[in-house]
Amino acid sequence: MLRLAEQCLERSKSFVGKRAASPAKTGHRRVLSNGGGELSPFLPPEVFQRLQTVESQDTSKKELTPIEEASRLNQKLKANYEARLARLPPGRAYQKTSLTLSLQRQMMENLIIAKARQDAVSFHVSLCCSADDGWRFAASGAMTAEEQEQRILYTNVLEYEQDHDWPKLWKANMRKNPDDDTLVSGLVSYLLSGSMVFLCENAIDHTETQTRPTRGSSVGGHSFTMGLSPSPSRSHDLHAASDDEEGEHEQANVDRENSFEDLEHFLTQLDWDNVQELEIRALTEHLKVVVKDIHIAIDQLLSLCLLSFECLNTASSKDLCLASIEEAFFTPLWSALVALFRKVHREREQAFEASMKLYQDASPAAFGVPLKLFPGDPGALQGSYPYESAVQELKLLIKDCCPQRKLECIGESDLCCCSVDCVYASFVEFQYAPVSAATAAWKVIGIIGADDLLPILSFVALRCQCPQLVSECAALEEFIHEGYLIGEEGYCLTSLQSALAYIESLHTGGAPHPADNPF
Amino acid sequence: VMAAGGAGSRTYSFKVVLLGEGCVGKTSLVLRYCENKFNDKHITTLQASFLTKKLNITGKRVNLAIWDTAGQERFHALGPIYYRDSNGAVLVYDITDEDSFLKVKNWVKELRKMLGNEICLCIVGNKIDLDKDRHVSVEEAESYAESVGAKHYHSSAKLNKGIEELFLDLCKRMMETAQAEERLKGNGASQSASSRRGVQIVDDEPQSTPAGGCCSSG
Repeated sequence: MLRLAEQCLERSKSFVGKRAASPAKTGHRRVLSNGGGELSPFLPPEVFQRLQTVESQDTSKKELTPIEEASRLNQKLKANYEARLARLPPGRAYQKTSLTLSLQRQMMENLIIAKARQDAVSFHVSLCCSADDGWRFAASGAMTAEEQEQRILYTNVLEYEQDHDWPKLWKANMRKNPDDDTLVSGLVSYLLSGSMVFLCENAIDHTETQTRPTRGSSVGGHSFTMGLSPSPSRSHDLHAASDDEEGEHEQANVDRENSFEDLEHFLTQLDWDNVQELEIRALTEHLKVVVKDIHIAIDQLLSLCLLSFECLNTASSKDLCLASIEEAFFTPLWSALVALFRKVHREREQAFEASMKLYQDASPAAFGVPLKLFPGDPGALQGSYPYESAVQELKLLIKDCCPQRKLECIGESDLCCCSVDCVYASFVEFQYAPVSAATAAWKVIGIIGADDLLPILSFVALRCQCPQLVSECAALEEFIHEGYLIGEEGYCLTSLQSALAYIESLHTGGAPHPADNPF
Repeated sequence: VMAAGGAGSRTYSFKVVLLGEGCVGKTSLVLRYCENKFNDKHITTLQASFLTKKLNITGKRVNLAIWDTAGQERFHALGPIYYRDSNGAVLVYDITDEDSFLKVKNWVKELRKMLGNEICLCIVGNKIDLDKDRHVSVEEAESYAESVGAKHYHSSAKLNKGIEELFLDLCKRMMETAQAEERLKGNGASQSASSRRGVQIVDDEPQSTPAGGCCSSG
C-alpha cells in the first residue's frame, strides 16, 4: 500500500514536471508565472487533488499529522512521569506537585506547537487551492501585487520543505538552541552555499516577467541575487526604484554615448578636461545605480531568509543574518566595488596624494596635535614615530573585504577611530616611556575630545600613505547600516572622513571643503 | 515566547552634536554628564569624543548619542559632516571669553541655515565657577538665545552644576519635536524606510528586561 502510494506520488510529480517544464525556459517542476493564461502557476486541479489524496494516504501511514505526533509525544511524557512518580520516595509531596505541573506544562506546549504547525500546513493547502483558481483572493483586491509575490514565494518554500528535510532539521535545531548565535550564521552560509538555488531560480523566473533583467554583470557574479522576488516591505520602493534606475542608467548611457559622439565630431576642438568631466559624471551615475542595486539585493536576500525561516525574525537573529549575508555578499565584490569608487573619487585621491607628499615628514604638531600628546623628543620612540600602531591598524582596514567587519574594526575592536583606542594606547606608551614606572602610574595625559582626536586622526591618516582610504570610507558610508550611523561606528567613520577631507585640503593651503555635499 | 513589554513603550534615539571653541570645556561638560568624571588627576586618558547616555523620561526611554566636534578653526568647514541628521545641538561658550560666544553665534546661524528649525538648540555658558571674570553678560546671552529660538543655560563642569538640567530639557524638547513629526507623518501610513533623516523610533524588544532605575549612564 505504501509502495503503491509512493509510486503514485512519483508519477504525478513527473507528470507535473512535464507539464510545467514544457512551456518554460527552465526545467523546474513548478514554474511560476504571473498570468498570461498559457502557464499554470500551480498544479492543475485534478493533479493537485490526486497529489493530495496520495499525500494524505501517505501521511496516514508514514507521517503523522502534527497533532497526532504531539499526542504520541505526550503519551510518552506521561509514561515517563508515571515511572518517575513511582520511583519517588514517600512523603515527597512537593516533588510530586512539581513533576505534575511540569508534565502538564509540557503537554500543553506540545499541543500548542502542534496546533500551530497544523495551521501552517492547512494555510499552505488553502494557498495551493486558491492559487489553483487563478489567485481568487488577489482578484478580490484584498492583496497587493507584493503580497501575491510574497505568497507565491512562501508557497514555494513550503512545497520545497515537503520534499526536503534540511529546513526542518535546521528549524528544529534552532528551536532547541534559541540562544546559539552560531546556528544563525551557519544557516545563512548553508543557504548561500546553494541549497536555496531552487527557490532563487523559481523567483527569478517569476520576477523576470515583471522587471527587466537587472544588471547583475555590473557587480559581477552575483546576478542571481538580483532577480529575487521583492520583499513585502521594500517591493514598493523596489518597483519605484527600478523605474528610476532604468532612467538613470539610460541617462548614464546617453551621457556616455554622447561623449563618444562628441569625440568623433569635435575631436580636434574638444579639450580633454571636458571629456574627463563627462566620464566622471557617467561613472558617478553608474555608481549610484550599483549602490542601489546592492542595497536592494541585500534587502531581498534578507527577506527571503526571514520568509523561509521565521525563527530568524527576531531583532538579534536578523542582525546576525544580515551580517552573514553581507559578509558572503561583499567579500568577492569589494575589490571591484572599490575600484569603481576610486575612479569616481579620483580627484579627491589625487588631492590626498599631493598633501601626502608635502606633509610626509611633518610632525603631529603640523596637524594641530597639542605637544602634550606626543613626545617632543623623537629619539624617545627608538626609530618608530608617534601613533605608529594606529597607522598600522588603519592600514588593515583596506585589507578586509566586508564593510561591516571594517566598521566593526573601526568601532568595536578599536581599529581606527578608529584607532582612537589605539591612539590612546600608543600615546600612553610613549608618554610613559620617558617617565619612571613609579611616577607614570597616575600621570594625567588628558581627556581626548574631538579637539584632540581630529588632529591626531589627520596625522595618522596621512601617515598611512593610502589614498585609497578616501574611496574606502566613501564606500563604507554607503553601506553602513542606518542603526550604526548614529552610533559609535558612525562617529568613528565621520571622524575619519573629516580627517581625510582635511588632509585633501592641506596641499592647497586653503580651508577644507566638506568632501561631499552632506545634505 | 516571553511576555511582551508594556505596550506602546518605545525607545527614542537622538543624536546630539556638541559645538564650541577649544578650551570652553565642552568635552569636560559632556564627560561629567555621561561618566560623572572630571579631569581630577586620577585619569590617564579618557575617550570623550563620542559618549552615550540612557535616560528614562516620563516612562519613555531615551538613548542619547553625543557627538563631540573639533572646535579649531582649521576644522570648521567639516562641521556639516558631523551635524547632519542631528536632533539637537549643545553650543558651549566660556563666560570669561567673549570670542567663544561669537563663535556660538556663528554656529547657530550655520545650523539654522543647514538644518532649519527641526534641530533643538541649547546654548550653554560654561565655567560659572569663574563668574568674577565674566565677560559675557547674562542678559545679552539670554536675549540672544531667545531671539534664535534656543534655550540658554549656565553650567560648571568643574562643580557639576546645571548639566543634568540642560540635557534633560534638551531631551524633552527633542521628544516633542519627534512626536510632532510623527503626528505629521500620520500613523504609520507612509513609512519611508530609506529616509536617513530624523529620529529613529524603535519598538521595544520584548526580550529586553526593562532597566529599573532612571538616568543610568551607558
